[in-house]
Amino acid sequence: MDVVRAIVGVQLRIIRRDPWFLVIMFGMPLVVMPLFVKTMKLSLQAEGYADATGAEQVVPGQVVLFGFMVSGSVAFSVFREHGWKTWDRLRASAAPPAALLAGFAIPWVVIHVFYQVVLMLVGGLFVGLRLKGSLIGEVLILVAYSTCLIALVLLLTATFRTINQVNAIVNLGAMLFGGLGGALVPVEQLPGWAQVVSPFTPSYWAMEGHRAVFLEPGGLADIAKPFGVLVGATVVLVLLGIRKFRADEAKEFFA
Amino acid sequence: MLSVRGLAKAYGDVHALRGADLDVAEGQIVALLGKNGAGKTTMISIIAGLLRPDTGTVTIDGFDAQRDLDRASKLLGIAPQDTGIYGVLTVRENLEFFANLAGVEKGVRPGRAESVAEQLGLTELLDRRASKLSGGEQRRLHTGCALVHTPKLLMLDEPTVGADVATRAQLIDFVRATANKGSAVIYTTHYLNEVEALDADIVIIDNGQILARGTRDELVEQHRLQGLEFTLTETLAEATRAELGAVEVGTHTYRIDQDLAVGALVAKLGDRSDHLVSVEAVRPDLESVFLAVTGDRLEEVSD
Repeated sequence: MDVVRAIVGVQLRIIRRDPWFLVIMFGMPLVVMPLFVKTMKLSLQAEGYADATGAEQVVPGQVVLFGFMVSGSVAFSVFREHGWKTWDRLRASAAPPAALLAGFAIPWVVIHVFYQVVLMLVGGLFVGLRLKGSLIGEVLILVAYSTCLIALVLLLTATFRTINQVNAIVNLGAMLFGGLGGALVPVEQLPGWAQVVSPFTPSYWAMEGHRAVFLEPGGLADIAKPFGVLVGATVVLVLLGIRKFRADEAKEFFA
Repeated sequence: MLSVRGLAKAYGDVHALRGADLDVAEGQIVALLGKNGAGKTTMISIIAGLLRPDTGTVTIDGFDAQRDLDRASKLLGIAPQDTGIYGVLTVRENLEFFANLAGVEKGVRPGRAESVAEQLGLTELLDRRASKLSGGEQRRLHTGCALVHTPKLLMLDEPTVGADVATRAQLIDFVRATANKGSAVIYTTHYLNEVEALDADIVIIDNGQILARGTRDELVEQHRLQGLEFTLTETLAEATRAELGAVEVGTHTYRIDQDLAVGALVAKLGDRSDHLVSVEAVRPDLESVFLAVTGDRLEEVSD
């Protein structure tokens, strides 16, 4: 536990020293949100949500989409240790692989949740996002989505040898899962085949949870299913990641 | 403090270690001397728990380093060959982090960081980012991070590679001081002068095997060669080389490992002696010991 705490501390400090990636990742969805509010308002009204402002789709959608990209940072942190030649020093602490992974995962889960919360609040202030349902339910969805994505990216980190490979997969995944999961447009507007595939993405379940509390006055019971699916997926991804992860495997950071 | 028995490790068909034994006592400095690929880094990586051996055991202060890695790791500090520090953190933050990682209590860490910085001449730089340090300063910090928790066993893998002369001298003084305080030290190097400066127990490793061990004087006494080293302006014919019992040790440079007078060499070379550039008597030094033990010269890495 001491090792995990030490790694968490140093990772947070490193992130604080070089926050520009996060700053940009905050900025991008904020630029995109206002551009699509009007279109999404019409779209949601066509779905039967007469009083929708469009923010109920755009803000959670951008949070889900860009949140996927932010989650790639956990892979960057791990690969960077290899580039800095500090990875073996961490390993020399005799920390078990799961503890090493936890040391990198925890700060990014916290940052990821913070990222989503800030974007939601800004969405509330500037594009009219209003919570109709359970606040606790929304928080649970945010936390579950963050944890699920970080677990997914750590599995990718364990699987791939270079940071370029992981970056490519994360960027592809963000667009693909975002699109299929209903982050860009509501799932109801996707082609039939996409609607069949959609529930196999974490984005879909995150969006389901958000819709339950932003478009409907959903309570905890209404977010139970998306929350449960995200938690279940997280457990599976964590187990796979721990099984796949080999701390002594050479990783290539940027040359 | 450290007992290594029968350590073997292969990477596919390449045998990095072939049943190596090594003992290091408290306060002792052991210099692992060997060429690139001799097995030095593999050995210390296994001792540090970074690699698993195919066979063999490592015991650190009574703890089995494979079965009780957590306890054993707290007793050792390792500075790998490549400089591994956090450039975005300050010198102080680096030292305190590695102390934290090794389990040093929070209240003690600042004092430890300052003490190590002082010993390594980094006190004035404590609050400077590591990325802003010179190469030599980074190398010192890299070494400092390995012993900020005052390990009982310190392992330094070629700590002076890339370091300037002043840094080398400072690191050697520091290693000696660390050993004087009771830590066992394993120091791998290509540099024979460092081994002599450390007054270390020398272990010659080649092709995954430990071939000789002793103090400098013991090894020189056991393995010194009587002979001559001579250089010609041209390559010596194979037949003449065989007749002289000469070994090529450089470009047009040969060595005869027998008690031979210069006059006798000139006579044996006959007409070829016109091509002689230089003749030197082989001095009994570590270089000649290394040559005698491994049959090869120790290449020194140019920085």
